[in-house]
Amino acid sequence: MTTASPSVFLLMVNGQVESAQFPEYDDLYCKYCFVYGQDWAPTAGLEEGISQITSKSQDVRQALVWNFPIDVTFKSTNPYGWPQIVLSVYGPDVFGNDVVRGYGAVHVPFSPGRHKRTIPMFVPESTSKLQKFTSWFMGRRPEYTDPKVVAQGEGREGAVFSIHGLTPPRPLASVRIKET
Amino acid sequence: MNPREEKVKIITEEFIENDEDADMERQKKNSKVRRQPRKKQPPTTVPEEMVSEKSHLGNQQEPVQEEPKTYLLSMTARRGPRSLPPIPSTSRTGFAEFSMRGRMREKLQAARSKAESALLQEMPTPRPRRLRSPSKKELETEFGTEPGKKVESTQQEIDSQSHSRVKFRDSARKIKPKPQVPPGFPSAEEAYNFFTFNFDPEPEDSEKKTKASHREGTNQEEEEGEEEEPPAQGGGKETDEEELLNGDDAEDFLLGLDHMVDDFIAVRPADYESIHDRLQMEREMLFIPSRQAVPTYKKLPENVQPRFLEDEGLYTGVRPEVSRTNQNIMENRLLVQDPERRWFGDDGRILALPNPIKPFPSRPPVETQELSIKGELETMYKKAVKYVHSSQHMIRSGDPPGNFQLDIDISGLLFTHHPCFSREHVLAAKLAQLYDQYLARHQRNKAKFLTDKLQALRNAVQTGLDSEKPHQSPDTIQKTINDYKSEIRQTRKLRDAEQEKDRTLLKTIIKVWKEMKSLREFQRFTNTPLKLVLRKEKVDQKADEEAYEAEIQVEISELLEEHTEEYAQKMEEYRTSLQQWKAWRKAQKAKKKKRKQAAEEHPYDETEEPYPEEDLVKPIPPEPTDRAVIEQEVRERATQSRRRPGEPMLVPELSLAGSITPNNQCPRAEVLRREDVKKRSLYLKVLFNNKEVSRTVTRPLGADFRVHFGQIFNLQIVNWPESLALQVYETIGHSGPTLLAEVFLPIPETTVFTGRAPIEEMEFSSNQHVTLDHEGVGSGVPFSFEADGSNQLILMTSGKVSHSVAWAIGENGIPLIPPLSQQNIGFRSALKRADAISSIGTSGLTDMKKLAKWAAESKLDPNDPNNAPLMQLISVATSGESYVPDFFRLEQLQQEFNFVSDQELNRSKRFRLLLLRSQEVPEFRNYKQIPVYDREIMEKVFQDYEKRLRDRNVIETKEHIDTHRAIVAKYLQQVRESVINRFLIAKQYFLLADMIVEEEVPNISSEGSGILGLSLFKLAEQKRPLRPRRKGRKKVTAQNLSDGDIKLLVNIVRAYDIPVRKPAVSKFQQPSRSSRMFSEKHAASPSTHSPNHNADYPLGQVLVRPFVEVSFQRTVCHTTTAEGPNPSWNEELELPFRAPNGDYSTASLQSVKDVVFINIFDEVLHDVLEDDRERGSGIHTRIERHWLGCVKIPFSTIYFQARIDGTFKIDIPPVLLGYSKERNMILERGFDSVRNLSEGSYITLFITIEPQLVPGESVQEKFESQEDEKLLQASEKFQAECAFKFPNRQCLTTVIDINGKTVFITRYLKPLNPPEELLSVYPNNLQATAELVARYVSLIPFLPDTVSFAGICDLWSTSDQFLDLLAGDEEEHAVLLCNYFLSLGKKAWLVMGNAIPEGPTAYVLTWEQGHYLIWNPCSGHFYGQFDTFCPLKNVGCLIGPDNIWFNIQRYDSPLRINFDVTKPKLWKSFFSRSLPYPGLSSVQPEELIYQRSDKAAAAELQDRLEKILKEKIMDWRPRHLTRWNRYCTSTLRHFLPLLEKSQGDDVEDDHRAELLKQLGDYRFSGFPLHMPYSEVKPLIDAVYSTGVHNIDVPNVEFALAVYIHPYPKNVLSVWIYVASLIRNR
Repeated sequence: MTTASPSVFLLMVNGQVESAQFPEYDDLYCKYCFVYGQDWAPTAGLEEGISQITSKSQDVRQALVWNFPIDVTFKSTNPYGWPQIVLSVYGPDVFGNDVVRGYGAVHVPFSPGRHKRTIPMFVPESTSKLQKFTSWFMGRRPEYTDPKVVAQGEGREGAVFSIHGLTPPRPLASVRIKET
Repeated sequence: MNPREEKVKIITEEFIENDEDADMERQKKNSKVRRQPRKKQPPTTVPEEMVSEKSHLGNQQEPVQEEPKTYLLSMTARRGPRSLPPIPSTSRTGFAEFSMRGRMREKLQAARSKAESALLQEMPTPRPRRLRSPSKKELETEFGTEPGKKVESTQQEIDSQSHSRVKFRDSARKIKPKPQVPPGFPSAEEAYNFFTFNFDPEPEDSEKKTKASHREGTNQEEEEGEEEEPPAQGGGKETDEEELLNGDDAEDFLLGLDHMVDDFIAVRPADYESIHDRLQMEREMLFIPSRQAVPTYKKLPENVQPRFLEDEGLYTGVRPEVSRTNQNIMENRLLVQDPERRWFGDDGRILALPNPIKPFPSRPPVETQELSIKGELETMYKKAVKYVHSSQHMIRSGDPPGNFQLDIDISGLLFTHHPCFSREHVLAAKLAQLYDQYLARHQRNKAKFLTDKLQALRNAVQTGLDSEKPHQSPDTIQKTINDYKSEIRQTRKLRDAEQEKDRTLLKTIIKVWKEMKSLREFQRFTNTPLKLVLRKEKVDQKADEEAYEAEIQVEISELLEEHTEEYAQKMEEYRTSLQQWKAWRKAQKAKKKKRKQAAEEHPYDETEEPYPEEDLVKPIPPEPTDRAVIEQEVRERATQSRRRPGEPMLVPELSLAGSITPNNQCPRAEVLRREDVKKRSLYLKVLFNNKEVSRTVTRPLGADFRVHFGQIFNLQIVNWPESLALQVYETIGHSGPTLLAEVFLPIPETTVFTGRAPIEEMEFSSNQHVTLDHEGVGSGVPFSFEADGSNQLILMTSGKVSHSVAWAIGENGIPLIPPLSQQNIGFRSALKRADAISSIGTSGLTDMKKLAKWAAESKLDPNDPNNAPLMQLISVATSGESYVPDFFRLEQLQQEFNFVSDQELNRSKRFRLLLLRSQEVPEFRNYKQIPVYDREIMEKVFQDYEKRLRDRNVIETKEHIDTHRAIVAKYLQQVRESVINRFLIAKQYFLLADMIVEEEVPNISSEGSGILGLSLFKLAEQKRPLRPRRKGRKKVTAQNLSDGDIKLLVNIVRAYDIPVRKPAVSKFQQPSRSSRMFSEKHAASPSTHSPNHNADYPLGQVLVRPFVEVSFQRTVCHTTTAEGPNPSWNEELELPFRAPNGDYSTASLQSVKDVVFINIFDEVLHDVLEDDRERGSGIHTRIERHWLGCVKIPFSTIYFQARIDGTFKIDIPPVLLGYSKERNMILERGFDSVRNLSEGSYITLFITIEPQLVPGESVQEKFESQEDEKLLQASEKFQAECAFKFPNRQCLTTVIDINGKTVFITRYLKPLNPPEELLSVYPNNLQATAELVARYVSLIPFLPDTVSFAGICDLWSTSDQFLDLLAGDEEEHAVLLCNYFLSLGKKAWLVMGNAIPEGPTAYVLTWEQGHYLIWNPCSGHFYGQFDTFCPLKNVGCLIGPDNIWFNIQRYDSPLRINFDVTKPKLWKSFFSRSLPYPGLSSVQPEELIYQRSDKAAAAELQDRLEKILKEKIMDWRPRHLTRWNRYCTSTLRHFLPLLEKSQGDDVEDDHRAELLKQLGDYRFSGFPLHMPYSEVKPLIDAVYSTGVHNIDVPNVEFALAVYIHPYPKNVLSVWIYVASLIRNR
């Protein structure tokens, strides 16, 4: 290894957003993106993706299955700021407006191998009852300016969240860490 | 007679009786009371009597008919004193009975006659004694009254005895004579008895009955006394008895009644008892405790010194407060009542528990309102809560509970003494102990060590004496030898002592062993397997003897030496004292003589004169020591303490090899003992924090008095152990266990783990007394080995428990120890209790001195266990011991986890980089991908940073060239940094709105769109209305942005009056109007299309083909090419924006200094075809672009304005070779006449940022001020009013000066002198001077405040500060300009308003003859009031030196308003009649002082600039050769000063002519740039933006000239002439 090409280690993530449990909602799609620290850079694969819309299964499980693949490779020099996958789930409300149904984040597993993660999902609440009503009525629910906020610590002080989907999408990720 | 009647009769009878003896009442009381003191103070009066009474009580009294009643245990204590009084009486009765009877009979006879008459008299007395009905008696259960009553009731039956009792008492108490009985007269008692006694007619019978009844009564009384309240079930019986009693009574009286009713009536005078007597009697009977303090010795057992536990360091607690007198009374009382002094403690005070009263109520206050009481009492049900210990060592939540473990290994128990020990056992134990001692001593072998030491010392002395060391003075040698000798003496003594001890020990062992042997022989059986073997070690007799002798000899000689020394010393002493004595003798003799003489004269004096000194004794000379004596001594000692020579060395060896005699061969007592031992078994209880947690199995006691348990208890604990104890229980046979002893185990250190803990032996002993009826010696009882019982021994049960206590280790090797933090909770709680925090504050807790001081002041009891941790802490802290405290240790494992040393870590480049990044140092704030290895980090990464740190105070001139500006730049940089750092801290607090997108709350009150209903209507709106309304863009906060997210949108709409080309440059031909017209008409078709056109003369070309190029952050975009001088592009250009260092925070964006350059070029097509023959087959043209002008808009302006929309004046160089403005033509073409009013070209632009960024809120802070409070209030009011009326108009009354103080704005305006130089240029032309001054002001570089002080506030500097800094924004420029104009005598105002592109800004308004002029202070341009292109778009207020006028006209555009401030309807003035102008002093200096600029420095700067620019141009053309036409350059250089002089006017034609003359062969394109000088970078950027270097014609040549004109105060005007030359062929 020469100083010309600084040494990095690679983190290869491939997996899928398997399924979700949202007892109240149907016809949802999800969007994933990654949040990572300063020392990280994606080298290959897609950093973001939006899945297809899926309907609840007709069996008892009532699962929303996406099986939406994730495949991305990061390089980094520093474990600090290890990538987090941020999932946001959207779906139509009563009036057919597309509203957010849940946000959630989880760190990409630290160890190589097959991992299954279950992420609890939540959405920000309206600040008042009136707003709650109007937002419901007009289909303009409160949303994050950027879903990546979920993976960050800052600025959450004031917000109130309600947990919607008790059981959440499970990205099934297999991680390979490789040092070059 | 039915019983009822009977009873009544009895009662009346009683009354009769009682009334009979009116004073008998007293007598009874008397006797009662007398009895009381007797029982209370028997020791003081007749203790012997009491004892004897007691003893004969047991013997003489008939067995008391005890009722089968259970006594409450607690009552027994009381029983003693209470039950005491009747007993003596009964016993006495027995005593006195016989003697009494006879006497009674006599008295009866005598009394009868009297009584008869007395009864008659006393019959009608009232009956106050009804109370004494039997039922009443039952009810009266109070203790105090009951016995008394009983006594009274029984009294009646026994009063016959009472006198006898009195008698008895009298006789018993002979010490106390009967009071006041005059001889011959009957005593008071006798008289009383005589009158009152109920004389039985048949004394014999009644006597018996009385006795019986009395006894019953006594019993009754006892019981009553014991049970204060007769229990219910006992009640019936009691009543029965009562009735029985009464029945007895009745019988008694019935018996007596028949005979006595008449007989006993007697008449007698009222009985009088003298007060003296009564007092006397009272004194006898009553006890009034003294208030005097009781001397301590009385309260303590004899010969015991009071012991103050507190002084001994034991905790006693705080006694409850009792007043001293009460205490004394109580003490006195107790002393009298309780002879055993049980109530007094060791310190001579009454025993008292610590005050149990809490200082504060623990019960919550109950609301006193009646209503709530019910509520308070209401039961509330709560869910079961897990019990949480209130213990101070409770683990706090957060610590994992319950998984700590303490392993207690109890291996066994060994008794060193047990009651069942036989004598042999006792000896065996002793022997074993001695042997242990012996082994220990043997191991240390101190005697040997001392012998060796002695030997060594002797050798040292020997060598010291022998060797004559020359370099040592004899003194020192002598000294060392003396030291050695004394050492030898000491050592020898020690050795002798040790040897003696050894020997005695050995002797004792042997003696004990012998005793044991003899005992075994004596008792003919063996109990213990102990066996002592004395091993003899043979020694070489001769050598031994020699050594012994030698030793003795040495010792003798040493001793001798010592003695001689001593002798010498003594002799010396003797001599001196002898001399003294002699002298004294002499003096004495002389004195005597004298005295004799004196005595002769005064014979009486002698006796009076005392001897002043004692007679000195004549000293006795010391005896010389005798060697023989010494030898004798030494030898004696040696024989005593040492082994005799030749005697074999004895080594005792104790073994357990002996056999124990089997049971059948032992005598019976021994067998009993052994059986007893077998019956006994033991177990141990483990007590953790005083709670039993487990116990061992019960194991029988072995014959060797060992018990093996071998059990390990794993205590799963939650709390930090406070105490750990074992209780030894012994069970004998089937009886219950008895506690033998308690052994406290130490809590192990946290480092002691299972497996590593050693087995320790803990001794215990019990103080129980056991006497056994077999061979066992018992415990606590004396026994003896001797047959005669002498030499008694008392041994207590004692033994050892072998155990080990350790912390367990968990599965994963983690010790299961409660965290250390737990241990300090006690400390904290102690603090809390004492409330140290409130007294010294929390910080005081860490300051030990303070803490100690506080502790001393608050008089904390150092012995209170609650304070123990605190005290320990303080003592440690104050004594400064280096002791690791148990309360605070941060990261105690840090050392173990440090994988590199700190220095190494600090040396690591990577670590440093990470550190700097996390500290947000600007250079590294956004550093990405910090390399993994140190070696991959270049040293240069830090160079900039280090340099910056280093250069903080070093002025660097390379960048700036000009020193003054360098200083200013540095200064500004520093101010900026500090300000930014201050505000970075308080920056980003995210609001909810920053994070979450949420619809606005529908606002019902506000107009239009806000109403909920309306917004609902919106739902019904068409989705795509025909006339779409403009919607506000989404604003984005700067937090989640990254590179590429932000774009700059520039919409270029159109331009006006672009200069047009001058055709036929080379031919000096002014194109005719018609030709222009003609060419104009052909403009539609590109000229190049016509093949006929000559290359030299592009006749067919249009006037100008302008296009716009926008460059921002070195990204360049350009529009398509339009045609004509008034082109319309209407194109949108998109430029990406990159924040510096990728930091998109508001603070960072605000400080972006980049400028958007909008350059207008003319696209010129040149036919480059070399060969005309090819013309038909191809087009060979070269596109050249000629710079026409530019508009510069700083990014910060865009950022703050959000959008910029308007028409801007294009900055066109004063000389644009080859182009001209064709005014005439435009006029002809009939353009709007308004446009003609102003010169120059204009461009209409719309610029914005996508997405819209939210500019940082400027900090609204109240700054301190030195202004009058009234003025400030008025200004606030004024502003509020203005803002209410016209919220969009700028109104300014106070501003913040550079020191951060609020200053009233008019203070900034004051006539200030412009530089003399400028005034002298046009002495007569005021307008020209004004323009020159404006130009001077505009030459001072512009630096927006927001850039320097990001997002904070607008700071106004005064004019002199501004000139010193040579940088400022619009306000400073405007203020300076306004001041200059005022000084020039003009009427001038500061105009606050909005302008494009600056936004809110300041302009200057002047009143010229008949019209107003608006001056842009930053550019130096001025506009008429009605100039359409005036950048000032609206006017908020005008500010003069003495007033502020706010625009209250309907419009605010300068075109449409009236500037006449005298009209109050149009202008609202700040100072008016109601608030007159107070005459505010100015903050400006008196006058400005200008230094003349340094011409030489300017020239030098000019050269350097030129060089730099040339290099830059060459850099920008890396692929081409850059030739410099020196000739042209020099020409241009000459030309530039002219431009400066004329300010760019009217030189063009001359210049062109000159140029053409000189450079005839060249096609020339170039222009001079004019800028104020601030730094090099803007100049370079400006040159770059012109794009001169982009020409890539092969044979192009360049010319560049720089001219710097210095103005006063180092204001520099820079001219750069750039040109490209192409040689015409």
